[in-house]
Amino acid sequence: MTTWRLRVDPVACDGIGQCALAAPLVHLDRWGYPVLPGQELPERAARAAARAVAACPRQALWLEPGRPDAPARRAP
Amino acid sequence: MSPVAAAQWPDTLRASATSPAAPWLLPASGTRLVAATEDLASHRAQFGPRPVRAVDLLSRVEAADAVGHGGALVPVSAKWRRALAGDGPLTVVANGAESEPLSAKDAVLLRRRPHLVLDGLVATAEALGAEDAVVWLHGSDERTRAAVVLAVAERREPVMPRVVVGPAHYLAGESSAIAHALEDGVPLPRARRTPVPGRPRTLVHNVETLARVALVARGLPSRATTLLTVATPAGREVHEVPRATPLLAVAAQAGWGAPMGALLGGFGGTWASRADLALPADPFTVRAAGLDLGAGVVAPLPADACPVAETAAVLSYLAAMSARQCGPCLFGLPAIADAVRRLADGVAGGSIRRRLAGDLAAVEGRGACHHPDGAVRLVRSLHRAFPAHLAEHARGRRCADAPVVLPVPGGHR
Repeated sequence: MTTWRLRVDPVACDGIGQCALAAPLVHLDRWGYPVLPGQELPERAARAAARAVAACPRQALWLEPGRPDAPARRAP
Repeated sequence: MSPVAAAQWPDTLRASATSPAAPWLLPASGTRLVAATEDLASHRAQFGPRPVRAVDLLSRVEAADAVGHGGALVPVSAKWRRALAGDGPLTVVANGAESEPLSAKDAVLLRRRPHLVLDGLVATAEALGAEDAVVWLHGSDERTRAAVVLAVAERREPVMPRVVVGPAHYLAGESSAIAHALEDGVPLPRARRTPVPGRPRTLVHNVETLARVALVARGLPSRATTLLTVATPAGREVHEVPRATPLLAVAAQAGWGAPMGALLGGFGGTWASRADLALPADPFTVRAAGLDLGAGVVAPLPADACPVAETAAVLSYLAAMSARQCGPCLFGLPAIADAVRRLADGVAGGSIRRRLAGDLAAVEGRGACHHPDGAVRLVRSLHRAFPAHLAEHARGRRCADAPVVLPVPGGHR
């Protein structure tokens, strides 16, 4: 099964928050910056994450192929 | 906050060599350290010529378990394999920026024995087929720059090292900032995105790491000693000691009597209790005990100091030294510093302490570089090393008579 990991470039991110509006799997911290799911995303969740990627006006988010055997890691 | 210049510090760099048995990184005559910069002729008399075209250097570095001495202890061979996986032009960097204000070992090594570092830099560049070799220095360290420039001028190499002076900022020595500066002219940390084929590759090693690679290239043991900077009221002292030396004995060499504990690894490091100082000056043993020597910094605290007030001062400095690029660092570090300041003043109620715990979790691992992680690690280590003292602060204690003893730059108190 293919899995995906949602990543953010914290330098490019300006905390605009569109990602969290577009995809509920993205949460915002108390300063408005995205907290991404730490685990690999299956296909269905990855499609939701892709909406966050597309919503970002700074193009700070991206999806990269996951390694399903890898342990859960903190975002980004 | 103006950038902090290392030159503002009392420059009383001293070093001790307790045994003349080779190989030591710092040049000594008997038990006395040689103060002058070692020139190429004396260096070759001591170590012999640099082994050339060491095509098997990667396997030898791997067999010797060489690790990075900038603080992360990453295996050198792993970094080399990652660099070799790309296909863009490769630059190898000897990082001597040493922006951690408590550390002086890299400056001492470069000023006393620059050729061992240059040997390691050129051997690495040659073994990996690099086009470029760079010695990267801190913006305000003119004496080290002069020593390295003179040393480079003595040599003829297939890849001639360039000396590049970076900015005078706390993050000037952060490895992604160096790569960013050399590739794009922007000396600020950046996030690692998916590699693009053909992109320039930059391999950054701490200067001590490369000096040890130069020992490995000659078939010499590379892990006999540790280079440590010990903070004292008179300034920073650099000590090279056998790895079995207890940290408390290293502190005693620098004149410390009975410290209550020590900050290990620098401002983004970990607090060690007095009992922890029985650990040997071996980075792996220290790490296995849940602490971290970082780039080899030991900053003892006198018995009447307040570790919470010290932490508050350091956090205020770390917050000011943020590159201000990543939200969690830009907003999180001042919030954390403020909460620990309140704790030091005995006015942090339950809600402030709970928010501090939440902010630590919110900041950790969310910057482009590890700057915010260092601040989080520092606060967490306070809980581990001084739980009783911390609990008293939570109940309202204020250490009013404890002045900050750590030399935190820029007047952060």
